[in-house]
Amino acid sequence: MTNKKLTDDGIPPGWSYNPASWPQRLPIVGMAMVGFGIATYLSLFQLNIVADVWEPFFGEGSRKILTSKTSRILPVPDAVLGALGYLADALAGAIGGTRRWRTMPWIVIAFGVLVGPLGAISILLVALQPVLYDSWCTLCLSTAVISIIMIGPAMDEMLASLQYMRRVKDARLSLWKAFWGNKEIEQKVI
Amino acid sequence: MWAQVINALLGIWLMAFPAIFETDKVIANNEQIVGPIIASFAIISWWEATRAVRLYNIPLGFWLILAPWVLGYDNNTALVNETVVGVLVIGLSLVKGKIEERFGGGWSAIWSKNPTHVQEARNNPIK
Repeated sequence: MTNKKLTDDGIPPGWSYNPASWPQRLPIVGMAMVGFGIATYLSLFQLNIVADVWEPFFGEGSRKILTSKTSRILPVPDAVLGALGYLADALAGAIGGTRRWRTMPWIVIAFGVLVGPLGAISILLVALQPVLYDSWCTLCLSTAVISIIMIGPAMDEMLASLQYMRRVKDARLSLWKAFWGNKEIEQKVI
Repeated sequence: MWAQVINALLGIWLMAFPAIFETDKVIANNEQIVGPIIASFAIISWWEATRAVRLYNIPLGFWLILAPWVLGYDNNTALVNETVVGVLVIGLSLVKGKIEERFGGGWSAIWSKNPTHVQEARNNPIK
């Protein structure tokens, strides 16, 4: 008897859907690309390539936040790091086929780990705006919302990968090999 | 999920409150830190696989009820607001809502004994 659910649709055992299917992943990749676009625009302002920044609600808020001391704590402006983070998210969301929760757990777990800290940093930056500088920055808030929205949908796929790793461990096979993807293990463990 | 949508809005309401009611810095700082955290936990729990994250808002709700006394607020509007929001956040965090999908036993199935995904894998072998 073959496991039809797994071979045809890539649905993990005990699941009602495949978290690595394209309808599940494409919205996250799309959101990460929007985040990348906004962060790139903010980077251009911070690098003095664009003279003005769009701010519909908070007056001088965006300018104040984007030129604040916090934004220059690191050698590169913070929006540049944000842009790189969103790009990494988009790539980690796009790489691999619809069975990648078992064929390449490393990318799924890297994806989940990338999305988590980016979200945590976003919450921190949102709180710092009013607490330290008494202003808000509309586009900074928008990217924070994107980061938070991405967390939930990225986590189900990571859960499927971690459950697969558990079954590999139960079968007393190498977790290290399974993590990087291994044909022999894939034939033994569902 | 509707309960967690309301909690997200309550978090955003807390963020806006200090500007609308021109509170002092102590109250503003508290609401501008706790507000975004509540909104974020609520948004993360919109999805079924991470619905359990809603429970992280319960301690934050209790903090909102205690904060006016711990931080010594002299602003009754802020005191009433944080108490009401705190009670609402705790109550709404307890609302689990519908879970329609199956997740192989969920997050505890990574370490628990004989979880759903292990049983189903055994009952439906590859060959």
